[in-house]
Amino acid sequence: MMMNQGGNAQTIAAVDPNSLENRHVVNGNQGQTPSYFPSTTGSEASAWPTHRVENSSTENGIHSHSAYQYNQHTQPPASSSSSLGTVNAPQDYSTYASYPNPADPYGYGSAGYQGYYNNYQQQPNQSYSQPVGAYQNTGAPYQPISSFQNTGSYAGSASYSSTYYNPADYQTAGGYASSGYTNQTNQTTAWNGGNYANYTSQQYAPYTPETPGVYSSATATSTPQNYQQHYKQWADYYNQTEVSCAPGTENLSVTSTQNVGCPVPGVTTGYQTSNSQPPPSYTPAWRPESSSSELPSVQSGAVVGGSHDAYWNHVAPTSQSQIQHISPIQAQFQKPLDQKTSYDSFQDQQKTATSQASSIQYPASQQLPYVSHSYQTPSQAVPSIDTQRVNKLQIPTNPRITSNMTLGLRKTDKDINTTSPAGKPAYISVSLPKPVEKVPSSASADSLLKTGMFPKSLRGYVERALARCKDDSQMAACQVVMKEIITKATADSTLYTRDWDTEPLFPLPNEDATNKELNSSNRVSSLAKFKRSPSRRSKSRWEPLPEEKSEKSVERPASLNSGGLNYAAWGHVNDKERKPLLWSAGSKNDNMSSAKFPSLEQKSASKITQKPFKRQRLSDGVGATENGDASSDSDAEQGLAAYYAGAIALADSPEERKRREHRSKRFEKVQGHRGQNNHFKPKNAGAGSLYNRRANALVLSKNFEDGASRAVEDIDWDSLTVKGTCQEIEKRYLRLTSAPDPATVRPEDVLEKALLMVQNSQKNYLYKCDQLKSIRQDLTVQRIRNQLTVKVYETHARLALEVGDLPEYNQCQSQLKSLYADGIEGCHMEFSAYNLLCVILHSNNNRDLLSSMASLSDETKKHEAVKHALAVRAAVTSGNYVMFFRLYKTAPNLSTCLMDLYVEKMRFKAVSCMCRSYRPTIPVSYVAQILGFTPTNEESGEKDSEGLEECIEWLKLHGACLAADNNGEMQLDAKSTSSSLYMPETDAVSHGDANLAVNDFFTRTPS
Amino acid sequence: MAYLSMGEAHRRINDYLNRFCDAVSNQDGDLLKRLLSLSSNNPSILSLADALNVFQDANRLIKQNDNYAQFGEILVHLFRAFQSFRVGSFVDSYQAFEKAANAFIQEFRNWDSAWALQALYVMVYEIRVLAERADKELATNGKSPEKLKGAGSFLMKVFGVLAGKGPKRVGALYVTCQLFKVYFKLGTVHLCRSVIRSIETARIFDFEEFPKRDKVTYMYYTGRLEVFNENFPAADDKLSYALKHCNPRNEANIRMILKYLIPVKLSIGIIPTDWLLQKYNLVEYSNVVQALRRGDLRLLRHALQEHEDRFLRSGVYLVLEKLELQVYQRLLKKIYIIQKQKDPSKAHQLKLEVIVKALKWLEMDIDVDEVECIMAILIYKSLVKGYFAHKSKVVVLSKQDPFPKLNGKPVNS
Repeated sequence: MMMNQGGNAQTIAAVDPNSLENRHVVNGNQGQTPSYFPSTTGSEASAWPTHRVENSSTENGIHSHSAYQYNQHTQPPASSSSSLGTVNAPQDYSTYASYPNPADPYGYGSAGYQGYYNNYQQQPNQSYSQPVGAYQNTGAPYQPISSFQNTGSYAGSASYSSTYYNPADYQTAGGYASSGYTNQTNQTTAWNGGNYANYTSQQYAPYTPETPGVYSSATATSTPQNYQQHYKQWADYYNQTEVSCAPGTENLSVTSTQNVGCPVPGVTTGYQTSNSQPPPSYTPAWRPESSSSELPSVQSGAVVGGSHDAYWNHVAPTSQSQIQHISPIQAQFQKPLDQKTSYDSFQDQQKTATSQASSIQYPASQQLPYVSHSYQTPSQAVPSIDTQRVNKLQIPTNPRITSNMTLGLRKTDKDINTTSPAGKPAYISVSLPKPVEKVPSSASADSLLKTGMFPKSLRGYVERALARCKDDSQMAACQVVMKEIITKATADSTLYTRDWDTEPLFPLPNEDATNKELNSSNRVSSLAKFKRSPSRRSKSRWEPLPEEKSEKSVERPASLNSGGLNYAAWGHVNDKERKPLLWSAGSKNDNMSSAKFPSLEQKSASKITQKPFKRQRLSDGVGATENGDASSDSDAEQGLAAYYAGAIALADSPEERKRREHRSKRFEKVQGHRGQNNHFKPKNAGAGSLYNRRANALVLSKNFEDGASRAVEDIDWDSLTVKGTCQEIEKRYLRLTSAPDPATVRPEDVLEKALLMVQNSQKNYLYKCDQLKSIRQDLTVQRIRNQLTVKVYETHARLALEVGDLPEYNQCQSQLKSLYADGIEGCHMEFSAYNLLCVILHSNNNRDLLSSMASLSDETKKHEAVKHALAVRAAVTSGNYVMFFRLYKTAPNLSTCLMDLYVEKMRFKAVSCMCRSYRPTIPVSYVAQILGFTPTNEESGEKDSEGLEECIEWLKLHGACLAADNNGEMQLDAKSTSSSLYMPETDAVSHGDANLAVNDFFTRTPS
Repeated sequence: MAYLSMGEAHRRINDYLNRFCDAVSNQDGDLLKRLLSLSSNNPSILSLADALNVFQDANRLIKQNDNYAQFGEILVHLFRAFQSFRVGSFVDSYQAFEKAANAFIQEFRNWDSAWALQALYVMVYEIRVLAERADKELATNGKSPEKLKGAGSFLMKVFGVLAGKGPKRVGALYVTCQLFKVYFKLGTVHLCRSVIRSIETARIFDFEEFPKRDKVTYMYYTGRLEVFNENFPAADDKLSYALKHCNPRNEANIRMILKYLIPVKLSIGIIPTDWLLQKYNLVEYSNVVQALRRGDLRLLRHALQEHEDRFLRSGVYLVLEKLELQVYQRLLKKIYIIQKQKDPSKAHQLKLEVIVKALKWLEMDIDVDEVECIMAILIYKSLVKGYFAHKSKVVVLSKQDPFPKLNGKPVNS
């Protein structure tokens, strides 16, 4: 352990600086094949940037990827010996450590991707890294990668994170089991980790047993986009290795050849090619076989061949080594054919299985560790386990798989057809999520992928909503409602425009209703899923729309099965996601519940392998009935949807319900005895359950995005509004990222005190702004809209004006506008004057000006402040500087502050105008007086020298030519000034917004 | 409403369906257009709507016959729209009509020739008009009016259908004009820009090949946009084009164009005849014109104040306000001429106090500093040639052409 940490630290230190050289040094230290590194450095260095910036399809880029990751894997060697005993991050590496030798290139690739994903997750969900020790470790060293991701190209981070969660599933499962296991199992965990990398990279591969289909799709996409393709290929490779490993011996040959290939080239390019080749060579060999063996569809093979051709072209220079590789690999793959099925079933199992089932998984996954760790001895054992597993699992699951497979295959055919001609337009990395979306090989994957499309705020909203639930059934009900909301939002395309942060929550639905609802809405949801696909697809630029229909029809036969699987899979995910979160919470409560969670939805499925059968039958029945209902609409999609609904509705089966009840009872124990059916009281749930819900919410936001039967407007928002209980007057502003906790929200009377406190405070603007923002937030979450609200916004707007904080002022102004429009009393006139001034002086838009002028009532126009503002407008539009500066002197309220911001511009205009029209000279004293440096004639005495000095300074600063005349009075030489006048660069701030310049801001801030 | 027998209702509906299918199969755009024009108060459509309200199961009729069923998506929603329209529920009518129109453009897409362009125009027009009515209904019910906005995005979609190669592209300008109407009504004129860009830059469009009617409308709206931008030469070009090519007998349209063209012409120094203002009932401008002729600042200000609402709403207020400088110029010129008559040798020196006196006489309360500033601006903007001597407070005019005419050029800014 210690050693490992040391190793880690080392790499971190080395990697963090982000210099490639350093890393190589580290690698060398760790005793990795040194030849590798030198060779790669060049390419690595050069390749990375290009890859990132434009996703270029050079092999360099890809290769560098793998090389890059390599470093992380080098850690393990150092740690491997010590870490084997314990279940932790180190183990993860340890496997890699052993790994490198046999499957060098692949190992890198996978790890790389894993790390890659890690980075994504870091943003959306920090808690993530905690659950799986391995992650934290991986996360840190990968930091450099994150920097590359920060380039912003990977906008779809959300989708990544979401997909990530599922894989996490697998990993954690491994982790659990492994604690009790031996070294080998440890490795299993580790392997799972690797696996996991797979999953993430491939996104849906794990969920869809039809790896061949996936694979072909991967290649298909590969042509247009190199990065993606490799990505997938690595992943694919993993899938395949898993399969190939089963026999145990085969893998040896593969790895050995690769080993030979790697060091030999020595030269950078040579290495790269060899590195990247394996996957291609591998895949073609593998591809045909799998199809011939298991998959009935021959055409698919042909198509795939085509795509491969393209691929080959792509990788052309590497042909030699490829050939080498092919032969051994082919040999391997002929044998494991049946194993492949077993693998599929295994995957299936993973989906349906619970934690108990996972114990079965482990032996299966052991295969790999064997291969990597000790080549020969365990191999014998593995097959036996394998066969066991096959016996158990293969039989029940096979039918599904086959159907799924055909499905996947056909689909991918299309994909190939469509995508490969799509060419390789310069995809910016944003395109990454797109290809993923493209190949929804199974429903679960599909829904998974969609998650990427949700705004963060929506997720927060969902979390908030779910955080209110007390038990499972309620949660389920909530999910249903939520789903509807989201679907609705999607349907009227407010999904992204709506402010989910401020969206009030809906009332908690009744339990009984939910159960019913669940059925129906599930139906709707699955239907919607399909209906929605067009719109989603149309977004992806490279896909012709027509494809869709056929896809639907293809998926239909499979739906029966996959639906059932789906749900289980989701449940699975649910659990796993929750667990990490619970851990992060750290309380005992949480641990307890975490232990329980696995038993949620999947338990039933996992206990016995019969269950899948049962499910299927059940779903059949439901599907049939649903189908009958739906048929009236004579919509093919609905029929299909019904299937899904049936499958999903299983979640509502008696046993499921029993389990839920059971669980909710436990919750009651934990949280005190609350009535189970007391749904309508938003309560302050304990931290643990809160987290659960949050996790659940996350899932939900991905899972149930569709469905519509209840309009958002119908929801009784009032019953859901938070009622604050906090009595603290002072509160720092923190942008809400989850449902507001009533304990931290202040009720109205406290807010009133808080406002008074701020108004009387002697502290600076920053403090006041912060306080006011938190008051505003509390008002918003409690939906308080009254005179207090107006007062708060007015106070804040005035403060913002005083210091010239226009952005904040604008926020307040827009809120005030709507508050005034609602008829709430306030200083309406004063603020319409400000508004007018703002439009005149700062927006410079004639239309806005006209409309805000037209909106003034006669009464308003008579108001002093508004009159003043209108006069200012006239002065500005006519360029009458004399008038402007007179109005500047007499401005009421804070209008001066707004005008302040325009003074400089006006002065410059004035001086340039004067210089053009005056001859020969203008006395500076006159200029100073006209331009507001000194008080106007009437009040002026001899004391205006200060203003005069200031005026001279200003004129000099702007390039004016000044000279004293015979009387010693300073004169502005108009003619020469007119040509030399210039606007000095305003103290520019690097980010372009002077308001954000902190120093400047502080100096302007009173006290 | 007279009693309508079931049989009669059935007959009417069947008759409509028959005519619809005939129109499509014969590619009779004119007939189709008439069958779709919902708000035209066409008696046949009104009677159909009555029939639909009696005979509730029209959808069955559509489904039963294969001929009708192929246009089921259009017809079912169309019938709903007719029904709702008849009973005055415009929101429902709009929603149904939009669905029908959506189905219609799907069909339209598949028709190679542009025979149905007229029908599409009607669809587009009805969508907009219905949306306006629906919004009115929504507003009176205290709901947020959003249908016109929805109509805007629907029209964008229709534009997308037309904006391609082939004979249908000539329809794009009509849709563009309808879009302009929507955006101007909504006050979201910035959205016009993207459409304008595609009309003016896309190679597939040859502006001259569009129908004249649409060209005139297009020029009118883009001219108005230029007025907002105070780009007077461009506005002049576009509005003049519209004026030149519009139907000379349609006085309402001419008036609408002149409403913007006159302020534009004024600001480039071209003054209309009184006769024109009288003929097209643009009397709100007569005082402005008068003020410009006389150099009467007071009259100008009064005229602006009097019609402030109108000018603000039409968006010419700021343009007219800027005429003030020209009024000053005219005033100075008058003083100059008077001085010249008195003493030609000193005519080119205008004393500030004289100008202040003149303004006093006009009951304009402007002090010396301000007048000085205005003089500076006049010289700066080249409305007056000369310079200002601060010491002696005198405007010294150039001996040659001290008050240059604008002659179609805008005032320097």
